[in-house]
This record gives sequence, C-alpha cells and structure tokens, in this order.
Amino acid sequence: MPFSHLDSSGIARTLSQIADEVTDSADAFFERQEEIMLPAGGTAPGLRVWREEGLAVRLGRGDQSWMATRDEISPEAFRDAVRRAGRALPRAPYPDPRLDVLPWQKAPEAPDLLEFPSRLQGALRSRGVHFTAEPTLRRHRRWVRLIGTRVSSGTESEHFFSLEIHMPWGKFGALLPSLDQPTADRTAQSLIRLFQARDCDPPPSRRQTCVLGAGATAVFLHEAVAHALEADTLALGGHPEAAIGVSMGSSHLNVFDDPGSGPRGVRRQADDEGFPVSRRCLLRAGVVEQPICDRAWARRSDLLTAGAGRRGHRRSPPAPRSTHLALAGSDSSLQDLLAGAEGGLYLPEAERGLLDPLSGAFTLRFPYGRRIQHGVPGEPVGPCSISGRVVDLLERVNGVGREVQAAGAGWCAKGGLKLPVWATVPEIRLENVEIRG
Amino acid sequence: MTLEPAAAETLESLAGLGWEEAEVFAKRGRSRSFQVAAGQETSTLRQEEGWAARAGDRRRSFFFGSTGSPDPGASWPEGDGHGLRLPSARPIPRWTPPSSLDSPLIAEGEARGLFEALARALDTELPGARVLQGHLEDGSSESWLLSTRDIAATVRQRAATLYVEAAQMRPTPRRVSMTLLERDARRFNPPAIARRLADHLLITHRGSAPRRDRGEFLLAPEVVIDLLAALSFLWVGPRAAEAAAELEDRRGRLASSAFTLVDDGRLPGGLMEAPVDGEGQPTRRVALVGEGSYQQPLLAWWQTPSSPQQLSGCSLRASWRDLPTPGPTHLYLEPDDSTSVVRLLENLRRGYYLLATEGGVKIERGRLGVPVRGFAIDNGRPTGSVTGAWLTASIPTFLTGILAAARDLSFQMRGSGIWGAPTLLVRGLELRHRPGPGKPLSE
Repeated sequence: MPFSHLDSSGIARTLSQIADEVTDSADAFFERQEEIMLPAGGTAPGLRVWREEGLAVRLGRGDQSWMATRDEISPEAFRDAVRRAGRALPRAPYPDPRLDVLPWQKAPEAPDLLEFPSRLQGALRSRGVHFTAEPTLRRHRRWVRLIGTRVSSGTESEHFFSLEIHMPWGKFGALLPSLDQPTADRTAQSLIRLFQARDCDPPPSRRQTCVLGAGATAVFLHEAVAHALEADTLALGGHPEAAIGVSMGSSHLNVFDDPGSGPRGVRRQADDEGFPVSRRCLLRAGVVEQPICDRAWARRSDLLTAGAGRRGHRRSPPAPRSTHLALAGSDSSLQDLLAGAEGGLYLPEAERGLLDPLSGAFTLRFPYGRRIQHGVPGEPVGPCSISGRVVDLLERVNGVGREVQAAGAGWCAKGGLKLPVWATVPEIRLENVEIRG
Repeated sequence: MTLEPAAAETLESLAGLGWEEAEVFAKRGRSRSFQVAAGQETSTLRQEEGWAARAGDRRRSFFFGSTGSPDPGASWPEGDGHGLRLPSARPIPRWTPPSSLDSPLIAEGEARGLFEALARALDTELPGARVLQGHLEDGSSESWLLSTRDIAATVRQRAATLYVEAAQMRPTPRRVSMTLLERDARRFNPPAIARRLADHLLITHRGSAPRRDRGEFLLAPEVVIDLLAALSFLWVGPRAAEAAAELEDRRGRLASSAFTLVDDGRLPGGLMEAPVDGEGQPTRRVALVGEGSYQQPLLAWWQTPSSPQQLSGCSLRASWRDLPTPGPTHLYLEPDDSTSVVRLLENLRRGYYLLATEGGVKIERGRLGVPVRGFAIDNGRPTGSVTGAWLTASIPTFLTGILAAARDLSFQMRGSGIWGAPTLLVRGLELRHRPGPGKPLSE
C-alpha cells in the first residue's frame, strides 16, 4: 500500500495549526491512481497508461471550506497546500512531517486487458454469432488515504475494469470487477440481445406492467432512490433531515447503501473523508430511514450520519454519493414476477435515468425489451422509457425477486463528479406504469 | 520554473531507447474554483503539473502520462498496437500573446461577490427566484511540446467558466441553468446573467408548445451553436466533404449566402487563441463554408496526406491526460456587424424568438429536431412563451433558410472545442409539440 508509511501524527499536528477554531476541521487527502487503457481496434498509440498522485488539504469552518491541491506528494507540496488552505502561514510552524510514499512498482502491464478481446470473440462465436465487437478496455486502480485533525483512515484501494463497445446498432458499457471467462460470456449475451433488438419497433406508448431485470433495477434505484436521497439533492428543496420518516415507495422496498459489501476489488471501510462506512438503510419498507450524507451535512444535524462522502478526484471537494446499492430480496422467483405481468414488458437493462430533484419528474431509458407472453420473455421490442413522478413510480413496485445478483454497475456523473457505482439487486415488478415507445 | 529542460531530457531518453518517433508534452497550470450550493461555499486553489509521452515506430507504440515533471527514468510500458507517426515541424507565423494572459486569477472575495451580486440581481429581476448552485472556475496554464521531428512549442492559455443553476419554487418548482465562458472571470456580468436566467424561468413557468406551426424564426446563439455542433459531420474530418456534397443544391450551394463558417485557432480574444495546436502544428483561419459554398472540411495534418494546403492546426489537447484529437478550435458562423438583434426582432412579423435548447439535437433521416424554449412573436413583440416545443427541419432547409445574421457573436464549449454563432433569422423551420425530428408539415 503506497500510503502505509505516512507520518499520520506529524500530518495531523501540522493540520492542527490551521484548524484554530473549536469547530474547525482540517484534513489531508492522499491519492494515487493508475489507469491502463487498451483502445478498440488497435488504434495507435496501443497501450495507454496514466499514473498520477497528489494531495488535497481542506479546512472546514462552519458552512465554508477551503481546499488546496497539488499534483505531487512531498513535504514541500504539503506545506504549501496547508498554507494555501489555511490562507496564512503559522508563526512558528512545526517541522514538516515525513511523507514516505512507496515508489510505483515496475513497468505498467495489464495482460488481462490484452486477453479479453479474444475471450469475448470466442464467447460470441460459441453462441453462433459472427459480428465483431471491439471493446475499449480500461483497468482502474486507486489508493486513497485521509489523515485529519478529527478522523483518519487507513489506505483504501479500488481495483476494477471498465468496458465500452460501439456497434452500428448500439453502445454497450459496463464496470466489471474482473475480466474472466464468465464476464466475457455475460458480455456476449448482452451484445447478442442488443443485436437481436436492433430493428425492432418500440412498444406502443401506454400504461402497462413491466419487470425490470437486475441491471435495470440497479439503474432505477440509483437514479430514483440514491440520487433523490443525497443530502445535497434534498437540500435543494429544504433541509435534508426533513426527509427522514417520509414514505417514498412501496413497502416491498428495503434499499441500502453498503460500501463494505460491494464487489471484492472495490469494498471500502472508510469513505473519502475518513469516516467509517456502514450499511446505511435508505428505505425501510419504503420509508426513508437515513439519507446519503457527507461530513458537511452531518455536522448540521444530529439525525444525519456521515460516511458517504466521495471524491471523484483529489481536486474536487467531497459530495454525498452512494457507492454500492443493495435491495433486499423477497420470496418471489422471476417466474412469479413475470406471471404477474402477462402482456407487459421485460426490461433487462437500462441505459440511463434522469431525475429532476425539484419537480420529482423521472425518466428511465431502456435500449430494448421483450414482450412477456405466456409467463416468459417473448418477442423483442425496441427502445422505450418509463416516465412519471419518482414517488409514484416507487409506489408501483409490487414485486421483488429473490435472486440477488451483482448488476448494473456504471459510471455516475452527477454534478460533474465521475464515480464508479455498484449494485447487488434482484428483479422488480412495476405495476401499470407509463411506457413511452 | 519551466518544464522544458525535463521534457528535453525525457525526449532524449526515449530516442536513446530506440524509438523512431517520440514526443513529450508537459503542462503546468493553476486555478481557483469557487462553488456555492445550499448555503455551503467551497473555495479551492489548485496547482497542477503533468506530462505525457507518445513513442512508437512503424509496428508498435505506447502512451504514458503522469503527474509531476517529465521523468527520463519513467517505467515505460511495452509498445503495443499499431505504429505511430508524428508530424514534422512547420513554419509558425509570428504571434504575440494577448496581454490578458497575465491578469491574476480571481480572488476568493471577488468570486463570492460575483455570486452575491448575481443573487441580488436575480431577486430584483424575478422576486422569489434564487440561485440554487453556482460554480466558477478561473485558470491559467503553460504547456511545452517537444518531439523527435523538431517540434518545440510553448503555449499559454487562460480561461474562466461559470455554471449557474437558478430556480423558482412557485407556482410549481422550475429550474434553469447556463454555462458561460470568458478569458477573464472578472468579465462575467451578474445583472446580464440574472436577466437571462429570469427570462428562462419565466418562460418555463408560463410557456407551452404549439401543436405545429411555421413562421420566421430568430434563433439565439445558443440554439445555433447546438445545431452547428450537431452537424459537425459536415464540417470536421475527412468524410465531411462527401457528406456535405450530398446536401448541395443543383447550383452546388450548401447554404444561404448569409452562411459563412470558419475555424480560427488564432482568433483574437478567443479562449483557445494560440500559435500552434496540441501537436505543434501552426493554427490559422480556414474558411469551411464561404457565403453558402462549401470550401473544405477542418482537417488535421494526418488527415490530408495528398493536399497539405488544406490542413490547419486543429488537434485539441485539453490536458496532459488527453491524446491530441482533431476538432474545432474556434469554429464559428460569421456575424454581420451591421445588423443588431433588435433590428431583426423588430422586423419579425410572425414567428418565434428561440432563446435556448432544452435537450440534445436529434438527427434522423436527414432531419434535425431539438427541444427549445423562447417566445412567440407578432409584429416584433412577444405574445407568449414557448417551452417543451421541438424545432424541426430538414438539414438543407435549415442551412438554406438562413436569411440574416446579427452582430452578437458568442461562443460556447461543445465537447472539447469552442463553437460560436450570432443570432440568426431563419425561414422554413417548424415548431411542434411531439418529440423528435418528425416529418415535414406537407406530409
């Protein structure tokens, strides 16, 4: 771990020089990132590697924060950032802390990236399909550590892959914990479904019952529950703590944000502000229990709990965001859900959702779907969307499946903060919702 | 301290390792960011420094980027993929850096003052309206580029962006947002921005969409820029000329005589004004469409092997992390300095004045469609507000229907390039309430 040998007490002591009011807090965020990319189709230059590291010092006082960031980890850079965040040079500064960071290990290489394109082509061929799917692949590795005057964390790490495939009939993208053979098989299956629906007409616009696959459920909950319950989003319309106890959806919905139980490479023990993460219950039987909250919002209310502060990059201030959404399963099988949606739509994957936090208007777009006939997904249909008021849509969840699975991981870009988000969810059934073809 | 010596040493190291083609790009910058949202304020001072190397030969290549100053002893990745070719140095016409590059970054107090002035002005324009969130970024940078093909270039840049989101909660909650660009953050004008936000909030409160209508249309720069950027396949890249030829009329004209489109990397006062592009190629003014006649597409050096007279320095490199990619530097529709927007509006007998888009432009089967907001106009006066309506037309109808341009040229960032347009008076467009480009009115 690159930040195991940082002089945490020396860093905290230096930070204490600028946190000179009782309620002040000061912290230093250390970050190292590596991204290796293999572009689609062997475009030059071939393998692309980015390695970067730096630090951010932040001083919080009341509703104000001052940050200073540097693209370097050294005692000089740290001292300069402390001075800029504190906007003053302490009269008798302490000696600089030691900032021993482990050097980068050997030349960057990513054999798993190089092998995956042929694995994917093999998976397509084994299903009798002969179109070319050239993925753009990336391996993401990140290490962060926060040391502050009030809280400190150990080194947290993230390790995952992202994939993007552009085809004449659509785009496919995913975040993946690994690039193994089962991943290649699942990706091939998704690409084939997209191909099969390429010329299909959208379903007619009308109200109907639909079953969302796990991938689509993950996107739905991310947009409709997680974003809606972020403290900064709630603050647009009032005080975030006012949301606690409000009934927001059907009693079938028990939704959690649980960064500690995500896929193996991305599990967290602390957030990007150094607070321990917890299994945060967002909705219990459809009622809001605990909004998603970072330090800035938690200090304004005894009812709000920090631990969900995330930084897309050291240069950005933290914001309250979800990491790994989990929906508790129930007793229903997928067959049970489909049986209750005869004539409706099975929507396995969602492209993206859009929530207007002020009006509550919500839209979720799907690249394709299948008509439910005789209790099973039948003929494919083209792109469509669900729209309505977010609370109304959440109340229409009348069935939750029992097969909980990792699905629907993707990039969240709300407010320009690009973050990986993960989910472990079952299928759900939405009764009589407005579908637009 | 310059990063050039470290870049030169790193280039030498790569050449010493046997790479035929090698390039080192280093960039250093500093910026102030000031964010306000829901009563919270964050002020950030950033100092950034990073570099990237491309190296290759005819069979393999790699890209390596890192923070800090260029490092001759970096652990290079193995070369992989296709071969790499880099451009040769070309003569760079004389260029004087604008003096505004040297103005200091906006101070924290000035940034706070800007948002306070904006909040006051908005409340005056439209009582009850408030700024939901705002984000001001003001930054300057210097970059160095060296290559084994004798390129040695230095570029300095300065830019400020302002994002503002405003809302009015009654009678129903509505919000609007806008992003503005300036060379210097001190040039943002709070009363003018507040007036625009108030106009947009009023329209979203009171507006509706006509079922289907035609007339004359006054399109504000923001709408025109979105349409031009959506048609980038006609202006940018080696296939653009072919795509444009399919739309030309029998006389070989693509657009009306009021349509002159240029790209100019040296545009005086332009946000990306520079003597060279991200690959060290000289920038220049190049006419893509002259008074309606197609001249040439925007092409980078490697896209014009047979006609080098067509190339211009247009490889964009937003940061050291990015590979150079061809695109608009300042791609804009030329204004008519003798025509004011007021004059065009006064002469509009029956039609619409559309101020902004409400979503992305869709193109299907040669037709454009974009959701818009603005005013219905009768004899030069607004008679109602329009929101949620779709502006539609075939591409040739839009391009040939342009009757006049005003003098109010303004610029917006789209992708990593900068696009500009003045207000346009256009005939032949349609407004409809159904989403999408739709079919012509006559069908």
